[in-house]
Amino acid sequence: MIGRPMQLASRTYDVADVWAAQELYHANGWTDGLPIVPPTRDAVAACLDWAMMEPQQLVGIEPVRGVAITAEKLAINAIMAGCLPMHFPVVLTAFTAMLRTEFLLHGATASTGGCAVLIILNGPIRLEIGASGTFNTLGNSDRATAVIGRAIRLALINILEVRPGGIDRSTLGHPGKFTFCVAEDEENTTWAPLSVHRGLPPEVSAVTVMAAGAPRQIMNEWTTKPEEILETFAAEMRANMRHYSIWAGNYAIVVPQQLREHLQTAGWSKSDVAAFIFERARIHRREWADAGKGAVVRDRGDTVYGALESPDQLLVVAAGGPAGGFGAIIPPWLGHKSHAVTEAIGVCIDCEPPKA
Amino acid sequence: MHDAITAERLKVPAIGVMTTRFVSAAELMSRVLGMPGYPFAVIPHPVSSATDDGLREMAAIAIGEVKRLLLRL
Repeated sequence: MIGRPMQLASRTYDVADVWAAQELYHANGWTDGLPIVPPTRDAVAACLDWAMMEPQQLVGIEPVRGVAITAEKLAINAIMAGCLPMHFPVVLTAFTAMLRTEFLLHGATASTGGCAVLIILNGPIRLEIGASGTFNTLGNSDRATAVIGRAIRLALINILEVRPGGIDRSTLGHPGKFTFCVAEDEENTTWAPLSVHRGLPPEVSAVTVMAAGAPRQIMNEWTTKPEEILETFAAEMRANMRHYSIWAGNYAIVVPQQLREHLQTAGWSKSDVAAFIFERARIHRREWADAGKGAVVRDRGDTVYGALESPDQLLVVAAGGPAGGFGAIIPPWLGHKSHAVTEAIGVCIDCEPPKA
Repeated sequence: MHDAITAERLKVPAIGVMTTRFVSAAELMSRVLGMPGYPFAVIPHPVSSATDDGLREMAAIAIGEVKRLLLRL
């Protein structure tokens, strides 16, 4: 608790009622097209108080344009998106991760490629905030994932001017640009959480961010063999390499319970899955000619390209409803330029303890 | 635009080359980078599917623009 009245720096506006507030936000381009929750002084202060942050505390600096991101501005956008104070640490951590150089935030938010920021949650915080990783996991599954993903988009719009036709030059974009947050279903799997595969200790809450294209859904209900199930995922990745981008990078695959159980029963871990996909998600450059892109095959038709530079580039996510032989691959925006980043929430891994 | 403006700040004369469809983006970037009105060269869009002859034309336009913007002729 910060034991004195919080001094917020942002300009305030007096409006007649909630309808006038909505019109103020729409008229100024401060929202994503949907209504917002008015970010009153008390609501913003409650968010900062929950995260034990001063309003002017620096969350980070956008590396290309040098724009400072303060806790206050992020909290305002979190409230607008519908966040409760308990959601705010996730928003903070996700934005911190996005500001890492390897994420290439400016490129990912400005590009004509039109990706969204996929946010994957791990650890106990999922249960504390009610983030669900089961039914409708890539859609409107629950309040927590909906508002956290939206907070990130509103923060991009309002703090970094990532508006369509402004900094955001997306040709198409995709629905995940409203909100794109998934909680891993750690309770219904024998697999280790994604955050553990990404190097964090078990039981640490974490956020992984990835500059991501739209999900591509697959189905294979007619086998229990891991190789056949995963061949369907690999085929969709190959399709993405043919139809969209040949470059390797962090792909995510979402494996719901029905297909997951076949893999787990056969003793396949996430590492086994990634090793198989690494071998199978490859195409020859000449295959581009089949998709109308013969002009760029040239004399390199025999060159083989992999979707992954190494198996650990694959983000294997256990999530989705209990029934249905479905899965999804989520392709990277520009995989060889923008890399997924995983950050622990509220703890510092490998930090030095404070000196006495 | 970012690279060109960074170069100018380092006292290195530079010209950004934009295709027509990116003119508004370039104007916005020069504004957010604190150099509003920074001039740049404009060539036709799109580049990636242009023929070799089309690329030569674009190069000629770019050279003309660069001369116009950098030199007092």
